[in-house]
Amino acid sequence: MEVKNFVKKNKAFCLFALLALLIILTAIFAPVVTGGVSPTDSVLKDALQAPSARHIFGTDKLGRDIFTRVIYGARTSLTASFAVVLIIFALGTVLGVLAGYFGGWVDAVIMRIADMMVSFPGMVFAMAIAGILGASVRNAVIAVSLVSWTKYARLARSLVLKIRNRDYVAAAVVTGSKTPYILTKYMIPNVIPTLVITAATDIGGMMLELAGLSFLGFGAKAPTPEWGLMLNEGRQFIQSAPWMMLYPGAAIFVVVVVFNLLGDALRDILDPRDE
Amino acid sequence: MKKFKKFTALLLSAVLAAGVMTGCGGSDGSDGGNSDAGTPANATPGNREGEVNQQAHETDRDTSGTRTMTFGIQNYGGGGIDPAKEINCAWNVSRYGVGECLFMFDNAMNIQPKLCDSYTVNDEHTEWVFHIRDGVKFSDGCDVTAEAVKASFARLFEAGPRGSSAPQKYLEAEAEITADNASGNVVIKTSKPYVDLTKNLAYPVMVILDVEHTTDYDHAAIGTGPYVATNFREEVGYTMVANEHYWGGDVPYASIELLYMGDASAKAMALQSGQLDLAENVTNISDLRDLQVDPQFTVTIASGVRTGLAHMNMAEGRLLSNKTLREAVLMALDDDTMCSITVGGLYTSGFSVLPSTLDYGYKNLTDPYAFDPDAAAKLLDDAGIVDTNGDGTRELDGKEVVLHYVTYPNRCLNDFAEAIQQQLTAIGIGVDLEIGDSAREWDSYQSGDFDINGSNWTTVGTGDPTEYLAAWCSTSGADYCGYKNAEYDALYDELNTTFDTAARRDIIQRMQQILIDDAAAIVHGYYNSSMISRNETVGGAAIHTADYYWITTEIYPAS
Repeated sequence: MEVKNFVKKNKAFCLFALLALLIILTAIFAPVVTGGVSPTDSVLKDALQAPSARHIFGTDKLGRDIFTRVIYGARTSLTASFAVVLIIFALGTVLGVLAGYFGGWVDAVIMRIADMMVSFPGMVFAMAIAGILGASVRNAVIAVSLVSWTKYARLARSLVLKIRNRDYVAAAVVTGSKTPYILTKYMIPNVIPTLVITAATDIGGMMLELAGLSFLGFGAKAPTPEWGLMLNEGRQFIQSAPWMMLYPGAAIFVVVVVFNLLGDALRDILDPRDE
Repeated sequence: MKKFKKFTALLLSAVLAAGVMTGCGGSDGSDGGNSDAGTPANATPGNREGEVNQQAHETDRDTSGTRTMTFGIQNYGGGGIDPAKEINCAWNVSRYGVGECLFMFDNAMNIQPKLCDSYTVNDEHTEWVFHIRDGVKFSDGCDVTAEAVKASFARLFEAGPRGSSAPQKYLEAEAEITADNASGNVVIKTSKPYVDLTKNLAYPVMVILDVEHTTDYDHAAIGTGPYVATNFREEVGYTMVANEHYWGGDVPYASIELLYMGDASAKAMALQSGQLDLAENVTNISDLRDLQVDPQFTVTIASGVRTGLAHMNMAEGRLLSNKTLREAVLMALDDDTMCSITVGGLYTSGFSVLPSTLDYGYKNLTDPYAFDPDAAAKLLDDAGIVDTNGDGTRELDGKEVVLHYVTYPNRCLNDFAEAIQQQLTAIGIGVDLEIGDSAREWDSYQSGDFDINGSNWTTVGTGDPTEYLAAWCSTSGADYCGYKNAEYDALYDELNTTFDTAARRDIIQRMQQILIDDAAAIVHGYYNSSMISRNETVGGAAIHTADYYWITTEIYPAS
């Protein structure tokens, strides 16, 4: 009954959560969905075939099945995006809470580093980092994480500052509560809901940034099935084999829209003040 | 309002998802013929030797000398035109129609006179007398005298030896050059005999410039060509204006806008939209085919003298020092399919390092490592190069067989690399593919930091493959792939002292067979260069076999 009420009350959230779950399940069960075809299996003679019964999304320049690569691409894109969001969420939260709670030189050091990070255009900075580290999905995750954690740190710091001087915190201090206890019992619980909402709405954005890096050659390397890389591979065939760009592009669009709307719906639940 | 936005977004995603599904359903059946055919709709099986066409579109000529043209080209060497600075700049000065050499190559790679109208050579091939054509002027109006030619060479040897131009490769630095303006003769005495120095002097590095008056070699070198380089803009291009002192007759265009366009599709679309009148080397086969079937354009294709190849690092301690592994690599690769389908015929397939169209006995060569992936796998199994840990990759002497493949995205080299990666992976050979820029590729080649190094080389740059074949001669100083074969080295030395054409051909044929038998290189195929002109505005434009010549007086405005 409770579940029924929840669904009734949060229809949008449930719908997008279901769609997101479907996407995740598709990624997990990619070998089943694609009937056991490997995303790197190529038949050179079958290159650039238009969508047909045999290859429903067509084939690419090496005769690989684009449907299989799009499905497997979900694994790469989702794993990398979730990794980025988890890293920046954890790193940003910890550093922001420490900066806000301790203030002084701790705050100054952390926030000045954050200021330095945001003084460059994010994507350009990420390209520079990924370029230095070398092209790979892992390095793209590191690059995007390094330029994105600051948002969480600044947010966490401002939320901590709001409660830092409240009476109940002062009471905890004078009653002998240890710092780790105060941080975990009072500070972090206060910042978590807002940061979770931010993280949820960031998944789509991170996915786009990672795909962007791969498109530019700073992310996934061939033959990894990754949507940004597939878009780049299809670019030169945009006139003669548009399906090479259409399907990875559509995959990015659908997944980003679903996760963005899921984030919005989650915000409506956790932070109903905007409604 | 917010709910409306969410509804719209939801609707959009639903429509898109439906579109994707419809796309699948709609294509079912109707496109079956395409998949049954086993080849892509826009690719032709087999090679494109039949498509080689160097016949330009001919039409009525506009002789007013007032017309302009736009020419889309790849930017090499940052657009510089100083032949002493780097080899790409030397090619630019020739390609842009700014400078000329004493001789030039025709489409059969034979020598034709240019600034030199006659020459003599002694029996020892050590003393060459070149007569400079009367009446030739630089674009600043100064006469091209014997002294001016000598001064041009002197400046080249002063500024060039340390860079990639390396003029000493074409004429030894010790050569004694004397000039006599009265007779118009330049005499070159060399310490070693040259089989045919005229071919070396036809190479773009040896271009003749007015060194007395040139102040900006990088972007305003003064040459004898039909056009003068002006208005250089970084990454944009030049405005080439007619050389009013040109010795070879009327210059067809008042000016030509050279526009740098690195992206092949952008070049094709600029042609289609009318922004370009002429373009060289659209390296994207799907776009090239669209232009070929479009009656508005003429596409000329030269079966060029370039070989697309990947050097294998055979130095001691490297994986590919194992000959069985090299043999298996060659047998795993379907060159015909890669050339005809993967790169859509931009290359003609072949198994020797020298193009099949050159007269070096290709038809007499035999390939013991024809495409046979099953035999390749068996060869590896029999040699004990097997996958013992079950990770899908074989091991050799306890080391995973993962080959570091370095190349760059030019002339479809990256397409070959990806196709090779797929095919080698299929027989249990891993490939760590690094696609960087040309500088990285060259650095890796020279430093030996590679197992496979993909590139595209001009084979007869000076009308002869001797310099190119030095890449496998362990005593030449140019062997960066660690290849050692005493018989090959001896033949290379013999080649350097043999003047007889038939004997040279025989030596070169034997050298090719040795390289083939030793599985010394992965040969992708032979690159076909292209030039595309708009029929409505341009006539006479055709790609030359030697790709040093782009802008010439053969290209004229259509009336």
